[in-house]
Amino acid sequence: MSADPADREPVADGGAADEPDPTVEMAEQAGREEPDLDRGIVEAWAAKMISNPDRAYRATFYVATFFFLVTTLFPFYWLLVVALTPRNNLSEVGVFLPAGFNPAAFIDIFTTLPFHRYVFNSFLIATVATVAVLLVGSLAGYVFGRLRFRGRNAMLLLVLVTSFFPPAAFFIPLNRLFNTNVDVLRPLLSAGSLYNTPYAIFIPLSAIFLPLSIFILMTFYSQIPDGLEDAARVEGTTRLGALFRVIVPLSAPGVATAGVLTFISVYNEYFFSSLMTDGRPQNWAPMLEGILRFQGEFEVLYNLMAAASIVAVLPVAILVVVAQEKIVSGLTTGAVKE
Amino acid sequence: MASVKLEGITKRYEDVTAVDDMNLEIEDGEFVTFVGPSGCGKSTTMETIAGLTLPTEGTVEIGGRDVTDLPPKDRGISMVFQNIALFPHMDVYDNISFGLRLRKYDQEEIDRRVEEAADIVQLEGMMDRMPSEMSGGQRQRVAIARAIVRNPDAFLMDEPLANLDAELRVHMRTQLQRLHRQLDTTIVYVTHDQAQAMTMSDRIAVINSGVLQQVAPPLECYNEPANRFVAGFIGSPAMNFVEGEVVDGGFESQYTQIDFDPATHGVTPGQEITVGIRPEDVFLEEDSRKAASPTKAFDAVVDVIEPMGKEVNAYLLFDRDVEASAEGRGEGQLLINLAPDTEIAEGDDVRIVIDRENIHLFDRASGDAITHSLE
Repeated sequence: MSADPADREPVADGGAADEPDPTVEMAEQAGREEPDLDRGIVEAWAAKMISNPDRAYRATFYVATFFFLVTTLFPFYWLLVVALTPRNNLSEVGVFLPAGFNPAAFIDIFTTLPFHRYVFNSFLIATVATVAVLLVGSLAGYVFGRLRFRGRNAMLLLVLVTSFFPPAAFFIPLNRLFNTNVDVLRPLLSAGSLYNTPYAIFIPLSAIFLPLSIFILMTFYSQIPDGLEDAARVEGTTRLGALFRVIVPLSAPGVATAGVLTFISVYNEYFFSSLMTDGRPQNWAPMLEGILRFQGEFEVLYNLMAAASIVAVLPVAILVVVAQEKIVSGLTTGAVKE
Repeated sequence: MASVKLEGITKRYEDVTAVDDMNLEIEDGEFVTFVGPSGCGKSTTMETIAGLTLPTEGTVEIGGRDVTDLPPKDRGISMVFQNIALFPHMDVYDNISFGLRLRKYDQEEIDRRVEEAADIVQLEGMMDRMPSEMSGGQRQRVAIARAIVRNPDAFLMDEPLANLDAELRVHMRTQLQRLHRQLDTTIVYVTHDQAQAMTMSDRIAVINSGVLQQVAPPLECYNEPANRFVAGFIGSPAMNFVEGEVVDGGFESQYTQIDFDPATHGVTPGQEITVGIRPEDVFLEEDSRKAASPTKAFDAVVDVIEPMGKEVNAYLLFDRDVEASAEGRGEGQLLINLAPDTEIAEGDDVRIVIDRENIHLFDRASGDAITHSLE
């Protein structure tokens, strides 16, 4: 009780002393803001950003975009720089400008080697693999996405597990298998073995990239209302007919996504592509082998390799631009169920 | 055109029986409606006719041909779905001609038939519209055109009007009746709305928990329901039920007593029965001449009055002490129809009579109807 007056006094004192201060200080601060800008560029900039956060967001956006564009596009630009550098100056390739100007490299790649044949091989293998993956993936996606049956989840898990296997683990057995002469194949393939044929590349790659497509297509097909499939079946299709006439067209974004992802993956694949043929174009060696062929015993023709790389990117770039709209909507709509 | 015959259709899922031993013969050109509460198995039954679901047991015949193992496309049927199910990626023409194109009709024939079907459902000039650009009623008309264009042996319609608004539903109801008259094709129709069932059908098949309760013309289902379920399901507002017991001189429950001779109506004293009375068969005592054969008067209290315009629904209690049940009409409550000019008010004491000609008796244990008149 005796503490009461003692307690009260300082509070009252402090209150009386502090009370006018904050308001005065704030008023002073507000008045002082303009002169504060003199304190330094960074501080002034920070103050501006805090008072106007939209500017900060916009600035961040531009910085991030610039960074992203540089990291993705600069390698292509530098490829072009290397490609345009004449053969003799390859030891002093510039970073931003080529040491010399030699566009003939883009012609040389087709004359020194039949590089177009390599690109064609890759293109064909990737196309066939895409068609095969979409076909098998559609059937599997239909079954997993639209039918309910015992063991569905176990089988789905199995598909998922196989997609986690490192592809290299398959290589040795597959290579042995493809080098074995199978008499049955003799009438179809000259040597009776799959080595040095496009099948040796597209079969394992289709299998490796199939699980991803199954999952994408499954998600899309499962979202088509049952009534539409029933209607198609009553109207006169079989289950398969309903799949290809109604479900697949309505899942176009998903099919495009799965198709483009598969195409690019197969087209770009290194490991199997480089080992399943002997590297000669007439033996269905893919584009990758063509690029590596510009590496001689005594000299590496970096300019031709760079030119070939740019040419090899073109088909994929065109494909992505064409299918872009579908892919974007496919990648996003798949995630949200309407 | 063809008859449809279901023989011993049973559909069992892992732990539920959706349809239980359904036997039904639908004649050529008949309009039969499957009606019942949600989940009663009426849609499953229709899907077995369509071939979208395979029955666990039993056979389906269409036009005298056993189609149990045929896929939907070979059954000669067409179907209109509850969610309309137009193909969103095709325009109206492609939607209607889908089945014809699959069957490789020549182009001239397809054009002619599509035009004819579009004419019947009044869709002229909309051939190149996409379904997303159309209203609900237009889409439903396209779906119907798609169904009729193939000249099927039978139409199956699974709640085709459920997704339309009330006004359009009534309009389409009359359209469908006209269509049935025009095409003279067998129609199997599924609905949970007994108003649609009553107004459109030649016969109604009332289904409950997978079991067929009664197959009869609408008015027969209304006037002579086969059991308590049909009696309660058909008719709006629903029939009143009073639970009680047969005594020597008639029927007795907690609040009511009706005199009749048990022997002539096939009941024995001591039997537990349910009395069913439609709201329109109860009259105020002063109107008792409207009843063909009035019972003696009962005392009742007016609980709630619902003026409907052309009539007044009054909820009566047999006794002031009866608790009005929160869920539906409970024991001791009675719903009656009165003329719109009635002067009774909530809380009034009234005396009522029941028309003996329309008192239904049901066995309480089995639910089966015993008699439909106490005269």
